[in-house]
Amino acid sequence: MSDIPSGMGVPNLEDLQGDVRDFVEQAIARGKKSVELANAPPQPVGLTPKETIYTRGTLRLYHYEPMCEEVYRVPVLLVMATTNKSYVFDLAPGRSMIEYMLKQGFDVYVLDWAPPTQAERGLTLKDYTQDFIPTCIEKIQKESGEEDVNIIGYCMGGVLSLIYAATNPDGPLKNLVCLTTPVDFHRMGISQVWNDPQYFDVDQLVDTVGVLSSGTVTQMFEMQRPAQRLAGQLRYWDNMLDDDFVESYRAMLRWGDETLPLAGEYVRETTKELQWGNKLFTGELIVDGKKAALEKIKVPLMSCVAEHDHLAPRGSTEKLLELVGSTDKEEVLLKGGHVSLIAGPNAAKRMWPRVGAWLADRSV
Amino acid sequence: MSEEKKTDKGAGSSIPNPMGQSFSGMVTEWERNFDAFANQVMGTEAYSQAMNEMQKAQLTYQKGVTDNMAQQLATLNMPTRDDVLQLAEAVRQLDRRMERIEDKLVLNDEPPAKRNKPARTRKPPQTPEES
Repeated sequence: MSDIPSGMGVPNLEDLQGDVRDFVEQAIARGKKSVELANAPPQPVGLTPKETIYTRGTLRLYHYEPMCEEVYRVPVLLVMATTNKSYVFDLAPGRSMIEYMLKQGFDVYVLDWAPPTQAERGLTLKDYTQDFIPTCIEKIQKESGEEDVNIIGYCMGGVLSLIYAATNPDGPLKNLVCLTTPVDFHRMGISQVWNDPQYFDVDQLVDTVGVLSSGTVTQMFEMQRPAQRLAGQLRYWDNMLDDDFVESYRAMLRWGDETLPLAGEYVRETTKELQWGNKLFTGELIVDGKKAALEKIKVPLMSCVAEHDHLAPRGSTEKLLELVGSTDKEEVLLKGGHVSLIAGPNAAKRMWPRVGAWLADRSV
Repeated sequence: MSEEKKTDKGAGSSIPNPMGQSFSGMVTEWERNFDAFANQVMGTEAYSQAMNEMQKAQLTYQKGVTDNMAQQLATLNMPTRDDVLQLAEAVRQLDRRMERIEDKLVLNDEPPAKRNKPARTRKPPQTPEES
Protein backbone atom coordinates (compact mmCIF):
# COMPACT_ATOMS: atom_id res chain seq x y z
CA MET A 1 0.00 0.00 0.00
CA SER A 2 2.77 2.41 0.99
CA ASP A 3 4.35 2.03 -2.45
CA ILE A 4 1.34 3.52 -4.18
CA PRO A 5 2.05 7.18 -4.98
CA SER A 6 -0.37 9.76 -3.68
CA GLY A 7 -2.91 11.26 -6.06
CA MET A 8 -3.82 7.88 -7.55
CA GLY A 9 -7.26 7.87 -5.96
CA VAL A 10 -6.50 5.32 -3.21
CA PRO A 11 -7.28 6.89 0.14
CA ASN A 12 -4.64 7.04 2.80
CA LEU A 13 -5.68 4.81 5.69
CA GLU A 14 -4.73 7.37 8.33
CA ASP A 15 -6.69 10.13 6.58
CA LEU A 16 -9.67 7.84 6.28
CA GLN A 17 -9.49 6.95 9.99
CA GLY A 18 -9.25 10.64 10.83
CA ASP A 19 -12.28 11.47 8.67
CA VAL A 20 -14.34 8.69 10.21
CA ARG A 21 -13.32 9.79 13.71
CA ASP A 22 -14.26 13.40 12.92
CA PHE A 23 -17.55 12.28 11.45
CA VAL A 24 -18.44 10.20 14.52
CA GLU A 25 -17.41 13.03 16.86
CA GLN A 26 -19.52 15.48 14.90
CA ALA A 27 -22.47 13.11 14.86
CA ILE A 28 -22.26 12.75 18.65
CA ALA A 29 -21.96 16.53 19.13
CA ARG A 30 -24.93 17.12 16.80
CA GLY A 31 -26.95 14.47 18.60
CA LYS A 32 -26.27 16.10 21.97
CA LYS A 33 -27.09 19.55 20.61
CA SER A 34 -30.31 18.37 18.99
CA VAL A 35 -31.50 16.88 22.30
CA GLU A 36 -30.63 20.17 24.04
CA LEU A 37 -32.51 22.17 21.42
CA ALA A 38 -35.50 19.86 21.40
CA ASN A 39 -36.03 20.69 25.07
CA ALA A 40 -35.16 24.37 24.75
CA PRO A 41 -37.87 27.05 24.94
CA PRO A 42 -38.91 28.67 21.65
CA GLN A 43 -36.32 31.00 20.13
CA PRO A 44 -36.86 34.51 21.57
CA VAL A 45 -38.00 36.91 18.84
CA GLY A 46 -39.22 40.50 18.56
CA LEU A 47 -36.82 41.82 21.21
CA THR A 48 -36.54 45.44 20.07
CA PRO A 49 -38.21 47.58 22.78
CA LYS A 50 -41.73 48.62 21.86
CA GLU A 51 -44.99 49.78 23.32
CA THR A 52 -48.39 48.48 22.26
CA ILE A 53 -50.30 51.70 21.74
CA TYR A 54 -53.56 50.26 20.43
CA THR A 55 -55.32 46.91 20.31
CA ARG A 56 -58.71 45.99 18.98
CA GLY A 57 -59.63 42.42 18.17
CA THR A 58 -57.10 41.10 15.69
CA LEU A 59 -55.37 44.48 15.38
CA ARG A 60 -52.17 45.36 17.28
CA LEU A 61 -50.35 48.66 16.83
CA TYR A 62 -46.81 48.84 18.18
CA HIS A 63 -44.60 51.88 18.55
CA TYR A 64 -40.89 51.10 18.72
CA GLU A 65 -38.66 53.15 20.99
CA PRO A 66 -36.62 55.53 18.82
CA MET A 67 -32.88 54.84 18.84
CA CYS A 68 -31.74 58.28 17.69
CA GLU A 69 -32.01 61.68 19.31
CA GLU A 70 -33.12 63.16 16.00
CA VAL A 71 -35.58 61.31 13.76
CA TYR A 72 -37.06 61.96 10.34
CA ARG A 73 -40.19 64.08 10.42
CA VAL A 74 -42.51 61.51 8.86
CA PRO A 75 -43.23 58.39 10.92
CA VAL A 76 -43.27 54.97 9.25
CA LEU A 77 -46.09 52.45 9.58
CA LEU A 78 -45.23 48.90 8.63
CA VAL A 79 -48.34 46.94 7.62
CA MET A 80 -47.82 43.21 8.08
CA ALA A 81 -49.33 40.52 5.89
CA THR A 82 -52.51 39.09 7.39
CA THR A 83 -51.10 35.56 7.36
CA ASN A 84 -48.06 36.05 9.58
CA LYS A 85 -46.68 37.73 12.68
CA SER A 86 -44.68 40.90 12.19
CA TYR A 87 -41.66 39.74 14.19
CA VAL A 88 -40.14 38.48 10.94
CA PHE A 89 -38.99 42.11 10.75
CA ASP A 90 -37.44 41.81 14.20
CA LEU A 91 -36.06 38.29 14.49
CA ALA A 92 -33.06 39.08 16.71
CA PRO A 93 -30.82 42.02 17.60
CA GLY A 94 -28.53 42.61 14.63
CA ARG A 95 -30.92 40.73 12.35
CA SER A 96 -33.84 43.08 12.55
CA MET A 97 -35.16 45.42 9.87
CA ILE A 98 -37.00 47.38 12.56
CA GLU A 99 -33.78 47.87 14.53
CA TYR A 100 -32.05 48.91 11.29
CA MET A 101 -34.74 51.50 10.51
CA LEU A 102 -34.64 52.83 14.08
CA LYS A 103 -30.86 53.20 13.90
CA GLN A 104 -31.23 55.02 10.58
CA GLY A 105 -33.39 57.57 12.40
CA PHE A 106 -36.95 56.53 11.58
CA ASP A 107 -39.87 56.63 13.99
CA VAL A 108 -41.32 53.14 13.47
CA TYR A 109 -44.82 51.81 14.07
CA VAL A 110 -46.01 48.32 13.17
CA LEU A 111 -49.51 47.12 12.44
CA ASP A 112 -49.47 43.48 13.52
CA TRP A 113 -52.23 40.88 13.64
CA ALA A 114 -53.38 38.53 16.38
CA PRO A 115 -55.21 35.36 15.32
CA PRO A 116 -58.78 36.38 14.39
CA THR A 117 -61.42 34.70 16.56
CA GLN A 118 -64.63 33.09 15.36
CA ALA A 119 -66.36 36.34 16.29
CA GLU A 120 -64.13 38.06 13.71
CA ARG A 121 -64.93 35.62 10.92
CA GLY A 122 -66.88 38.40 9.18
CA LEU A 123 -63.90 40.75 8.69
CA THR A 124 -63.58 41.95 5.10
CA LEU A 125 -61.30 44.15 3.01
CA LYS A 126 -63.43 47.09 4.16
CA ASP A 127 -62.47 46.45 7.79
CA TYR A 128 -58.78 46.10 7.02
CA THR A 129 -58.46 49.04 4.61
CA GLN A 130 -61.14 51.49 5.70
CA ASP A 131 -61.04 50.92 9.44
CA PHE A 132 -57.85 49.26 10.74
CA ILE A 133 -55.29 51.13 8.65
CA PRO A 134 -56.99 54.59 8.98
CA THR A 135 -57.43 54.05 12.74
CA CYS A 136 -53.73 53.21 13.10
CA ILE A 137 -52.81 56.27 11.07
CA GLU A 138 -54.94 58.45 13.36
CA LYS A 139 -53.22 56.96 16.42
CA ILE A 140 -49.81 57.61 14.86
CA GLN A 141 -50.74 61.20 13.98
CA LYS A 142 -51.80 61.74 17.59
CA GLU A 143 -48.72 60.03 19.03
CA SER A 144 -46.20 61.72 16.73
CA GLY A 145 -47.89 65.07 16.23
CA GLU A 146 -47.27 64.75 12.49
CA GLU A 147 -49.92 64.83 9.78
CA ASP A 148 -48.00 62.75 7.23
CA VAL A 149 -47.34 59.03 7.52
CA ASN A 150 -45.23 56.67 5.39
CA ILE A 151 -46.43 53.11 4.86
CA ILE A 152 -44.39 49.99 4.18
CA GLY A 153 -46.62 47.04 3.30
CA TYR A 154 -45.42 43.46 3.07
CA CYS A 155 -47.13 40.95 0.77
CA MET A 156 -50.89 41.11 1.52
CA GLY A 157 -50.06 44.00 3.84
CA GLY A 158 -48.88 45.73 0.68
CA VAL A 159 -52.12 44.88 -1.10
CA LEU A 160 -54.12 46.30 1.82
CA SER A 161 -51.92 49.41 1.77
CA LEU A 162 -52.47 49.84 -1.97
CA ILE A 163 -56.24 49.54 -1.53
CA TYR A 164 -56.11 52.05 1.34
CA ALA A 165 -54.02 54.46 -0.75
CA ALA A 166 -56.27 54.09 -3.81
CA THR A 167 -59.45 54.66 -1.82
CA ASN A 168 -58.01 57.56 0.20
CA PRO A 169 -56.07 59.55 -2.40
CA ASP A 170 -56.33 62.75 -0.38
CA GLY A 171 -55.31 61.08 2.87
CA PRO A 172 -52.20 61.66 4.96
CA LEU A 173 -50.10 59.04 3.16
CA LYS A 174 -46.74 60.59 2.22
CA ASN A 175 -44.81 57.68 0.67
CA LEU A 176 -45.66 54.05 0.01
CA VAL A 177 -43.26 51.13 -0.07
CA CYS A 178 -44.62 47.78 -1.28
CA LEU A 179 -42.57 44.70 -0.48
CA THR A 180 -43.31 41.60 -2.60
CA THR A 181 -46.79 42.90 -3.31
CA PRO A 182 -48.81 41.14 -6.02
CA VAL A 183 -51.30 43.09 -8.13
CA ASP A 184 -51.95 40.75 -11.07
CA PHE A 185 -53.63 37.82 -9.37
CA HIS A 186 -54.06 35.97 -12.65
CA ARG A 187 -50.31 35.43 -12.69
CA MET A 188 -49.91 33.88 -9.26
CA GLY A 189 -48.47 30.59 -10.48
CA ILE A 190 -49.51 27.31 -8.97
CA SER A 191 -51.91 28.75 -6.38
CA GLN A 192 -53.97 30.12 -9.24
CA VAL A 193 -54.42 26.58 -10.61
CA TRP A 194 -55.49 25.31 -7.18
CA ASN A 195 -57.98 28.14 -6.76
CA ASP A 196 -59.61 27.53 -10.13
CA PRO A 197 -63.28 28.57 -9.67
CA GLN A 198 -64.33 25.44 -11.59
CA TYR A 199 -63.12 23.27 -8.72
CA PHE A 200 -62.49 25.40 -5.63
CA ASP A 201 -65.67 26.00 -3.64
CA VAL A 202 -64.68 28.94 -1.44
CA ASP A 203 -68.28 29.37 -0.20
CA GLN A 204 -68.43 25.83 1.16
CA LEU A 205 -65.03 26.28 2.81
CA VAL A 206 -65.88 29.58 4.50
CA ASP A 207 -69.43 28.58 5.45
CA THR A 208 -68.14 25.41 7.09
CA VAL A 209 -65.07 26.62 8.97
CA GLY A 210 -65.78 30.32 9.63
CA VAL A 211 -62.10 31.04 10.23
CA LEU A 212 -59.45 29.24 8.17
CA SER A 213 -57.18 27.49 10.65
CA SER A 214 -53.50 28.25 10.93
CA GLY A 215 -52.80 24.67 9.78
CA THR A 216 -54.73 25.18 6.56
CA VAL A 217 -52.89 28.41 5.79
CA THR A 218 -49.50 26.81 6.55
CA GLN A 219 -50.37 23.86 4.33
CA MET A 220 -51.31 26.23 1.52
CA PHE A 221 -47.85 27.81 1.69
CA GLU A 222 -45.89 24.61 2.17
CA MET A 223 -47.57 22.79 -0.69
CA GLN A 224 -46.01 25.29 -3.07
CA ARG A 225 -42.53 24.19 -1.95
CA PRO A 226 -43.10 20.66 -0.67
CA ALA A 227 -39.40 19.85 -0.19
CA GLN A 228 -38.64 23.03 1.74
CA ARG A 229 -39.31 21.74 5.25
CA LEU A 230 -37.26 18.54 4.89
CA ALA A 231 -34.45 20.39 3.11
CA GLY A 232 -34.49 22.94 5.94
CA GLN A 233 -34.20 20.16 8.51
CA LEU A 234 -31.25 18.61 6.65
CA ARG A 235 -29.50 21.98 6.52
CA TYR A 236 -30.27 22.45 10.21
CA TRP A 237 -28.63 19.10 10.99
CA ASP A 238 -25.66 19.95 8.78
CA ASN A 239 -25.18 23.30 10.53
CA MET A 240 -26.19 22.15 14.00
CA LEU A 241 -22.88 23.31 15.49
CA ASP A 242 -23.10 26.80 14.02
CA ASP A 243 -24.90 28.85 16.68
CA ASP A 244 -25.75 31.73 14.36
CA PHE A 245 -27.33 29.38 11.86
CA VAL A 246 -29.24 27.54 14.57
CA GLU A 247 -30.62 30.78 16.03
CA SER A 248 -31.75 32.05 12.64
CA TYR A 249 -33.24 28.71 11.67
CA ARG A 250 -35.17 28.33 14.92
CA ALA A 251 -36.49 31.88 14.71
CA MET A 252 -37.67 31.34 11.13
CA LEU A 253 -39.12 27.95 12.03
CA ARG A 254 -41.05 29.54 14.86
CA TRP A 255 -42.32 32.23 12.53
CA GLY A 256 -43.49 29.64 10.01
CA ASP A 257 -45.16 27.57 12.70
CA GLU A 258 -46.98 30.61 14.07
CA THR A 259 -48.75 31.32 10.80
CA LEU A 260 -52.05 33.04 11.52
CA PRO A 261 -55.58 31.83 10.82
CA LEU A 262 -57.60 33.93 8.37
CA ALA A 263 -61.05 35.43 8.74
CA GLY A 264 -63.39 33.51 6.44
CA GLU A 265 -65.15 36.47 4.80
CA TYR A 266 -61.79 38.05 4.04
CA VAL A 267 -60.74 34.81 2.32
CA ARG A 268 -64.03 34.70 0.40
CA GLU A 269 -63.67 38.30 -0.74
CA THR A 270 -59.99 38.10 -1.69
CA THR A 271 -60.63 34.84 -3.57
CA LYS A 272 -63.61 36.17 -5.52
CA GLU A 273 -62.59 39.79 -6.06
CA LEU A 274 -58.82 39.56 -6.30
CA GLN A 275 -57.96 36.04 -7.41
CA TRP A 276 -60.92 35.25 -9.63
CA GLY A 277 -61.99 38.73 -10.70
CA ASN A 278 -58.45 40.21 -10.68
CA LYS A 279 -60.18 43.48 -9.87
CA LEU A 280 -57.22 45.21 -8.24
CA PHE A 281 -55.39 44.80 -11.53
CA THR A 282 -58.31 45.85 -13.73
CA GLY A 283 -59.22 48.80 -11.50
CA GLU A 284 -62.74 47.51 -10.85
CA LEU A 285 -62.34 46.69 -7.17
CA ILE A 286 -64.94 48.43 -5.01
CA VAL A 287 -64.34 48.63 -1.26
CA ASP A 288 -66.85 50.38 0.99
CA GLY A 289 -68.44 51.94 -2.07
CA LYS A 290 -65.13 53.44 -3.22
CA LYS A 291 -63.33 52.40 -6.37
CA ALA A 292 -59.84 51.14 -5.57
CA ALA A 293 -58.26 52.10 -8.89
CA LEU A 294 -54.48 52.11 -8.51
CA GLU A 295 -54.16 55.02 -10.93
CA LYS A 296 -55.55 57.21 -8.13
CA ILE A 297 -52.36 56.66 -6.12
CA LYS A 298 -50.17 59.72 -6.67
CA VAL A 299 -47.75 59.51 -3.74
CA PRO A 300 -44.13 58.43 -4.30
CA LEU A 301 -44.04 54.66 -4.48
CA MET A 302 -41.31 52.07 -4.24
CA SER A 303 -41.86 48.42 -5.08
CA CYS A 304 -39.31 45.86 -3.87
CA VAL A 305 -39.67 42.46 -5.46
CA ALA A 306 -37.67 39.25 -5.29
CA GLU A 307 -36.29 37.42 -8.29
CA HIS A 308 -37.19 33.96 -6.98
CA ASP A 309 -40.43 34.70 -5.16
CA HIS A 310 -42.77 31.71 -5.47
CA LEU A 311 -45.63 33.22 -3.42
CA ALA A 312 -45.78 36.54 -5.28
CA PRO A 313 -44.14 35.55 -8.58
CA ARG A 314 -42.52 38.17 -10.78
CA GLY A 315 -45.47 38.16 -13.17
CA SER A 316 -47.85 39.15 -10.39
CA THR A 317 -45.75 42.10 -9.22
CA GLU A 318 -44.20 43.55 -12.37
CA LYS A 319 -47.11 45.77 -13.47
CA LEU A 320 -47.50 47.69 -10.21
CA LEU A 321 -45.51 50.69 -11.35
CA GLU A 322 -47.43 50.91 -14.61
CA LEU A 323 -50.76 50.86 -12.76
CA VAL A 324 -50.20 53.56 -10.16
CA GLY A 325 -50.58 57.24 -10.98
CA SER A 326 -47.43 58.30 -9.11
CA THR A 327 -44.76 60.16 -11.01
CA ASP A 328 -42.05 59.46 -8.45
CA LYS A 329 -41.90 55.66 -8.57
CA GLU A 330 -39.23 53.02 -8.53
CA GLU A 331 -39.01 49.26 -8.70
CA VAL A 332 -36.15 47.36 -7.13
CA LEU A 333 -35.68 43.76 -8.21
CA LEU A 334 -33.44 41.93 -5.78
CA LYS A 335 -32.03 38.45 -5.50
CA GLY A 336 -33.82 36.17 -3.07
CA GLY A 337 -37.24 34.79 -2.32
CA HIS A 338 -40.43 35.94 -0.66
CA VAL A 339 -39.02 35.87 2.87
CA SER A 340 -35.28 36.23 2.26
CA LEU A 341 -36.06 39.59 0.64
CA ILE A 342 -37.11 41.01 4.00
CA ALA A 343 -35.22 38.95 6.61
CA GLY A 344 -31.75 37.45 6.78
CA PRO A 345 -28.31 38.45 5.56
CA ASN A 346 -29.52 39.02 1.99
CA ALA A 347 -32.13 41.51 3.20
CA ALA A 348 -29.70 43.28 5.53
CA LYS A 349 -27.23 43.74 2.68
CA ARG A 350 -29.61 44.57 -0.16
CA MET A 351 -33.15 45.54 0.74
CA TRP A 352 -32.99 47.42 4.05
CA PRO A 353 -30.42 50.00 2.86
CA ARG A 354 -32.37 50.61 -0.37
CA VAL A 355 -35.65 51.18 1.45
CA GLY A 356 -33.97 53.22 4.18
CA ALA A 357 -32.24 55.55 1.70
CA TRP A 358 -35.35 55.94 -0.47
CA LEU A 359 -37.56 56.82 2.49
CA ALA A 360 -34.95 59.09 4.11
CA ASP A 361 -34.91 61.35 1.04
CA ARG A 362 -38.70 61.68 1.19
CA SER A 363 -39.36 61.85 4.93
CA VAL A 364 -38.13 65.33 5.87
CA MET B 1 -21.16 31.00 26.96
CA SER B 2 -19.47 33.35 24.55
CA GLU B 3 -16.34 31.16 24.66
CA GLU B 4 -18.46 28.11 23.97
CA LYS B 5 -20.14 29.94 21.10
CA LYS B 6 -16.79 30.74 19.53
CA THR B 7 -15.70 27.09 19.70
CA ASP B 8 -18.99 25.90 18.27
CA LYS B 9 -18.87 28.33 15.40
CA GLY B 10 -15.42 27.18 14.47
CA ALA B 11 -16.34 23.52 14.69
CA GLY B 12 -19.52 23.92 12.71
CA SER B 13 -17.94 25.08 9.53
CA SER B 14 -14.45 23.58 9.56
CA ILE B 15 -14.75 19.88 10.38
CA PRO B 16 -14.59 17.86 7.18
CA ASN B 17 -17.70 15.98 6.23
CA PRO B 18 -17.27 12.42 4.90
CA MET B 19 -20.50 12.87 2.94
CA GLY B 20 -18.60 15.47 0.93
CA GLN B 21 -18.07 19.20 1.17
CA SER B 22 -21.06 19.73 -1.07
CA PHE B 23 -23.70 18.28 1.26
CA SER B 24 -25.58 21.56 1.43
CA GLY B 25 -25.23 21.84 -2.33
CA MET B 26 -26.70 18.36 -2.70
CA VAL B 27 -29.62 19.30 -0.48
CA THR B 28 -30.24 22.49 -2.46
CA GLU B 29 -30.10 20.57 -5.73
CA TRP B 30 -32.45 17.87 -4.44
CA GLU B 31 -34.85 20.50 -3.10
CA ARG B 32 -34.87 22.37 -6.40
CA ASN B 33 -35.46 19.22 -8.45
CA PHE B 34 -38.09 17.82 -6.12
CA ASP B 35 -40.00 21.11 -5.98
CA ALA B 36 -39.84 21.49 -9.75
CA PHE B 37 -41.15 17.95 -10.22
CA ALA B 38 -43.86 18.37 -7.55
CA ASN B 39 -44.95 21.68 -9.05
CA GLN B 40 -45.21 20.05 -12.46
CA VAL B 41 -47.45 17.34 -11.07
CA MET B 42 -49.43 19.57 -8.71
CA GLY B 43 -49.76 22.40 -11.19
CA THR B 44 -52.09 20.43 -13.44
CA GLU B 45 -55.83 20.87 -13.73
CA ALA B 46 -56.34 17.20 -12.85
CA TYR B 47 -54.46 17.66 -9.57
CA SER B 48 -56.42 20.80 -8.74
CA GLN B 49 -59.68 18.98 -9.42
CA ALA B 50 -58.69 15.97 -7.28
CA MET B 51 -57.44 18.16 -4.43
CA ASN B 52 -60.57 20.28 -4.38
CA GLU B 53 -62.86 17.23 -4.60
CA MET B 54 -61.07 15.81 -1.56
CA GLN B 55 -61.49 19.09 0.27
CA LYS B 56 -65.20 19.18 -0.58
CA ALA B 57 -65.66 15.64 0.76
CA GLN B 58 -63.77 16.54 3.93
CA LEU B 59 -65.85 19.70 4.47
CA THR B 60 -69.11 17.84 3.83
CA TYR B 61 -68.09 15.23 6.41
CA GLN B 62 -67.01 17.96 8.86
CA LYS B 63 -70.34 19.77 8.50
CA GLY B 64 -72.25 16.51 8.95
CA VAL B 65 -70.36 15.70 12.14
CA THR B 66 -70.80 19.25 13.47
CA ASP B 67 -74.56 19.29 12.80
CA ASN B 68 -75.01 15.84 14.24
CA MET B 69 -72.96 16.68 17.31
CA ALA B 70 -74.95 19.88 17.85
CA GLN B 71 -78.20 17.86 17.81
CA GLN B 72 -76.78 15.29 20.24
CA LEU B 73 -75.54 18.00 22.58
CA ALA B 74 -78.88 19.80 22.44
CA THR B 75 -80.59 16.53 23.37
CA LEU B 76 -78.23 16.17 26.32
CA ASN B 77 -78.87 19.81 27.24
CA MET B 78 -75.20 20.67 26.79
CA PRO B 79 -73.54 23.61 25.01
CA THR B 80 -72.15 23.19 21.50
CA ARG B 81 -68.70 24.41 20.36
CA ASP B 82 -70.34 27.53 18.93
CA ASP B 83 -72.01 28.24 22.30
CA VAL B 84 -68.65 27.90 24.08
CA LEU B 85 -66.96 30.13 21.51
CA GLN B 86 -69.67 32.76 21.91
CA LEU B 87 -69.23 32.63 25.65
CA ALA B 88 -65.46 32.94 25.29
CA GLU B 89 -65.91 35.96 23.04
CA ALA B 90 -68.29 37.58 25.54
CA VAL B 91 -65.73 37.06 28.33
CA ARG B 92 -62.98 38.46 26.09
CA GLN B 93 -65.04 41.56 25.39
CA LEU B 94 -65.70 42.06 29.09
CA ASP B 95 -62.00 41.67 29.72
CA ARG B 96 -61.18 44.31 27.10
CA ARG B 97 -63.77 46.66 28.57
CA MET B 98 -62.25 46.18 32.03
CA GLU B 99 -58.79 46.91 30.63
CA ARG B 100 -60.03 50.13 29.05
CA ILE B 101 -61.70 51.21 32.30
CA GLU B 102 -58.53 50.40 34.27
CA ASP B 103 -56.40 52.35 31.81
CA LYS B 104 -58.68 55.37 32.19
CA LEU B 105 -58.59 55.10 35.99
CA VAL B 106 -54.78 54.98 35.95
CA LEU B 107 -54.74 58.01 33.64
CA ASN B 108 -57.00 59.90 36.04
CA ASP B 109 -54.89 58.94 39.07
CA GLU B 110 -51.47 59.93 37.79
CA PRO B 111 -50.75 61.61 34.49
CA PRO B 112 -47.87 59.74 32.80
CA ALA B 113 -44.47 61.36 32.91
CA LYS B 114 -43.79 63.05 29.60
CA ARG B 115 -41.31 61.07 27.57
CA ASN B 116 -38.51 62.94 25.91
CA LYS B 117 -39.50 62.68 22.30
CA PRO B 118 -36.74 62.93 19.73
CA ALA B 119 -36.65 65.99 17.51
CA ARG B 120 -38.20 65.34 14.10
CA THR B 121 -35.59 67.32 12.26
CA ARG B 122 -33.32 64.64 10.85
CA LYS B 123 -31.99 65.17 7.34
CA PRO B 124 -30.87 62.41 4.97
CA PRO B 125 -27.11 61.92 4.73
CA GLN B 126 -25.61 63.89 1.86
CA THR B 127 -24.28 61.94 -1.09
CA PRO B 128 -20.63 62.67 -2.05
CA GLU B 129 -21.73 64.73 -5.10
CA GLU B 130 -23.90 66.97 -2.96
CA SER B 131 -21.27 67.64 -0.29
